[in-house]
Amino acid sequence: MLNNLDSFLLKETISSVFILVGVAFMLIATIGLLRFPDFYIRMSAITKGSTLGLGLILAGLGIYFDHPAMLLKVVAIISFTFMTAPVAAHVLSRTAVQNKIPFWNKTNLTDFQSYLKKEHRSEKKVDEERAK
Amino acid sequence: MNLFSVTLIIAIGTLSICLVLTAIRFAIGPTLPDRISAFDLFVANVIGIIAIYTELTGNADFIDVAIILSLFGFLGSISFAYFLMKRIR
Amino acid sequence: MKTFLIHTVISFVVAYQFFQRTDWLSYHARSAGGIFMLAFAVLWITTLLYNRAYFRKMPKAIFFILYILKEIFVANLRIAYDILKPRYAINPAVLAVPLDAKDDLSITLLACVVALTPGSIALDVRQDRRVLYVHMLYIDDDLDKAKHQIKHGFERRILELTT
Repeated sequence: MLNNLDSFLLKETISSVFILVGVAFMLIATIGLLRFPDFYIRMSAITKGSTLGLGLILAGLGIYFDHPAMLLKVVAIISFTFMTAPVAAHVLSRTAVQNKIPFWNKTNLTDFQSYLKKEHRSEKKVDEERAK
Repeated sequence: MNLFSVTLIIAIGTLSICLVLTAIRFAIGPTLPDRISAFDLFVANVIGIIAIYTELTGNADFIDVAIILSLFGFLGSISFAYFLMKRIR
Repeated sequence: MKTFLIHTVISFVVAYQFFQRTDWLSYHARSAGGIFMLAFAVLWITTLLYNRAYFRKMPKAIFFILYILKEIFVANLRIAYDILKPRYAINPAVLAVPLDAKDDLSITLLACVVALTPGSIALDVRQDRRVLYVHMLYIDDDLDKAKHQIKHGFERRILELTT
């Protein structure tokens, strides 16, 4: 009886610690979403914080239930999140570059000038062709 | 009302504050990609709330909602980005 | 890759049938995960007979995943400290990293890993697939050092895995 109760208390404690750490990561990510000055900085700093927070919360859930079906569902959600978050971030930032969302004024852009120039030139060529 | 459920209710309250802050960024975001990234974080927060609610009630059926929501959040942000890329061509 | 998928399915079926047919162990997440890992390890040892490359690469893949998790955690703590400070000390730049990887799989894997670590995101690949453009937050006036860090940390391990 005592052994059973003790293991239940241990599971609750570990699970709540995981959930509190995950919620703290998510809160910090949301504050960063409000504070940072530029779209690219927000994108590269924020989305991954929320991914780690979500993973910790779901791990706490799996530890608390301790059931194989729940373990399978939790592993499915975690692996799906870790696979899709970088793809979504990459597609969004590529779209933002092609839409000419401006960079922060302190960003070092020396390596990127040739790419930007080429993009603008190709756009100008497309415009000329459309005008003809 | 033991210490464990109090901890979970505090966590749900913190995530609700996160939802309000994300909605502020959604409202003031200067461009459309800002709003899409805010939407992404919004979906992640809602998945977290559903997970903690599952643990609070002890009913294991709610986690299916989180699976479907994670799938639809990814599809939503991808299709918004695709629409934006099509519009400038 | 095909061997890995087949082994995952086989060990899943073995774990399921074990709990269906016998009741030696209690039906918990720990015991089910343990049975799954055991079946997977036994299948991994048998590949010594017919697939030497898979036998060699599996420990490297596990160490690579652990390395990525450690990087994610450390960089997340750094960004959390930077967000909570009243004045942020970030110094962003866009790098052009020359690629050694040629095929699609390793370039995709490298872009995903770079996007998954906080503080850096992959913007685009140039048309001839030689250069990856990466946006990074913490640069200390030295672009080459950060490029060397990406090439030596991530790309070398990915090339070891995929070739």
